Amino acid sequence: MRPKDVVPEMQRTFPDSVLEASDRQGILARVRIEPRAILPICRWLRDVAGFCHCSLVAGIDWVETREVLYHLWSDEMKVYLELFAILPSDDPHIDSVGEVWRGALWHERETWDLVGIRFDHHPDLRRLFMPEGYQYHPLLKSLELHEPEELEVKARHV
Amino acid sequence: MGLSERPLPATPASAASVVPPTSPPIPTWEIEAVRAKEFIPPVKESLRDLISRKAVDGVTRPVFNWAGRNSLFPLHWGLACCAIEFAAAFGARWDAERFGLVPRSSPRQCDLLIVNGTVTWKVAHKLIALYEQMPEPKWVIAMGNCATGGGPFRTAYSVVPGVDKLVPVDVYIAGCPPRPEAMLDGILRLERLIQERKE
Amino acid sequence: MSEMWINMGPQHPMTHGLWNLRVKIDGEVIVDADPEMGFLHRGIEKICEYRLYNEVVTLMDRCCYVAGMSWEHLYMMAAEQALGVEVPERAEYLRVMSAELQRLGSHLMWFAAFVQDLGLMTPFLYGMRDRDLVLDLFQAYTGARMTYEYMRVGGVRNDVPVGFTDRARRVMDWLDQKIGEYEDLCDKSDIFVARTQNIGVLSASDCVNLGVTGPMLRAAGLPRDLRRDRPYSVYPELDFLIPTHEGADVYGRYRVRMEEMRQSIRIVRQTLDYLDRHPGRVLAERVPRFVGAPAPVPGKETYVLRRGYPKGRGFAAIEEPHGEATAYVVNEGAENPYRVKFRSPVMVNISAAKSYLVGYRVSDIPAIMGSVDICVGESDR
Repeated sequence: MRPKDVVPEMQRTFPDSVLEASDRQGILARVRIEPRAILPICRWLRDVAGFCHCSLVAGIDWVETREVLYHLWSDEMKVYLELFAILPSDDPHIDSVGEVWRGALWHERETWDLVGIRFDHHPDLRRLFMPEGYQYHPLLKSLELHEPEELEVKARHV
Repeated sequence: MGLSERPLPATPASAASVVPPTSPPIPTWEIEAVRAKEFIPPVKESLRDLISRKAVDGVTRPVFNWAGRNSLFPLHWGLACCAIEFAAAFGARWDAERFGLVPRSSPRQCDLLIVNGTVTWKVAHKLIALYEQMPEPKWVIAMGNCATGGGPFRTAYSVVPGVDKLVPVDVYIAGCPPRPEAMLDGILRLERLIQERKE
Repeated sequence: MSEMWINMGPQHPMTHGLWNLRVKIDGEVIVDADPEMGFLHRGIEKICEYRLYNEVVTLMDRCCYVAGMSWEHLYMMAAEQALGVEVPERAEYLRVMSAELQRLGSHLMWFAAFVQDLGLMTPFLYGMRDRDLVLDLFQAYTGARMTYEYMRVGGVRNDVPVGFTDRARRVMDWLDQKIGEYEDLCDKSDIFVARTQNIGVLSASDCVNLGVTGPMLRAAGLPRDLRRDRPYSVYPELDFLIPTHEGADVYGRYRVRMEEMRQSIRIVRQTLDYLDRHPGRVLAERVPRFVGAPAPVPGKETYVLRRGYPKGRGFAAIEEPHGEATAYVVNEGAENPYRVKFRSPVMVNISAAKSYLVGYRVSDIPAIMGSVDICVGESDR
């Protein structure tokens, strides 16, 4: 498949799910998709369009909504494709693409840990960076950084 | 007027915060030491005390200090960027082994813990466990700005602002990262501290 | 019934950084693996949202401390795309020279640590000594050995001093003859060859599906290198080869990295020739004023919003010494970036641990994990 055919083919194959596509400097296109259709679209992209490598799964916190972002790379066409989906902030969840690209599994764990987006049917969705039992999702805008005051540390002074 | 009629010194408020609540508030030996310092008049030094002072403070203590400071075994441990300068100090240009430093992998064989890098809350209790596994006498060097006070990551949500919140530190080395020469300078300062140990 | 989970880390001479490798072993054979990260998570992406665009560079050096220039270059490319800033050509050549010198430094550090894990002590000292020569070059034009803060939005901070190119050429000549000696030292050691051949095999299709990039992928035979496949900066004008190996094992990764060092020397020599012949600016003339502006005074923050800077998103992907690293910068028209996201190759390479560890022995773990070239600072960010 040639690079300029990818987005038209995608829009033809998934007419309801591919919402908008815009050009971006340096990558093939920035395509917005429906969250429900992420798995069929990703399977199609890997098997038909040849995007063999999932480079990144990221989350961005726009306070009322959250955006989940996928970067895919194709070895034949040598381009990146950017997919994104907008999820509501009350219950942000989307299907995991771990069965399509196993490399996305840890990125999804990191996105759950830091931005709070749940990935359904993920085999092992637990926190990656923060310790188990940490209640917050640090990269949300509701958590502000500040100069730490003198901390009350429950440690023994030897 | 005997010793038992004088009122005891007031309990300092800070002592309660460092002792877990299940143990008694002040150990009794501490009270007796305070009273002994205040009230026992000076007595003539016995021969045994004289020998102990001359031999221990004059001969064996300096020898032990000399041996200890010339064979500091740091723990083979690197946290972040300062660990690369720590490793560079063991290279051929700044040979740290000529000061007697041999990095050991097990904390049970070490007497020096060089905290080189950012300490996060996730690793804090492991650091304390490593520190407690080291046998006495032991020293801690906080190398770099992150170990001293959090460094460039002080405001982060997961960073301990300074390793002295967790373990007692003897020498702080500033720098981000400190050059290997600065690290060796810090180790030599620690050696001077060790030479002056009295107990 | 002798299966058990053991922890290798976070304090372990093999780990070179703070991470925990939990392996399930059945006697001596590895049955399962579950790496545990996050012990060095410093919240860099969150802190970046509170810094100006030029101030983020200080965090980039510390993010991946063995490849600081590469990550500065990566972030700068993404930020410049988000802000719409052009970079003069001499600055591009300086950036590429810094990145390739950094690749040499990173691979030499990897070499020193890797062979030390396998028990060879002499190449460790050789590797550290030569890495100190490269760091001396860095110190000559940036002032620092490891955390340079050299690049700025729109170019670099300063030009190289007089006489630098001759000095750098002498170091490149020295390294060129030494890399062959180090390869000899390792290849002629039967123990090294026996410990690294057919160990930790990860085939090309597995690599691609798992997202593994960098020398691990090239050692499996797939010649993907972003400097050649999606050229950035001035790489289209430079002449170099992409080494690959067919073994997909630890020995292959070692050979790929040694050959990459030779190609980096070749690239650095070409950039030095350019720098000698073409003087010019090293920082763009027109940079948005707020990029280096002081922080707003409390009580007077509104002046930032009134200006209405153009919004944008920037994306950059480089071939870092460890693999493919990407940066995504979201600019919402304020002085600080709204979101900065980095893709670390080391995190993905470690996540595939189960695929290349299962079936081998516990004593192979230092060789395999050493060949992955782990830098925990960028993996945990």
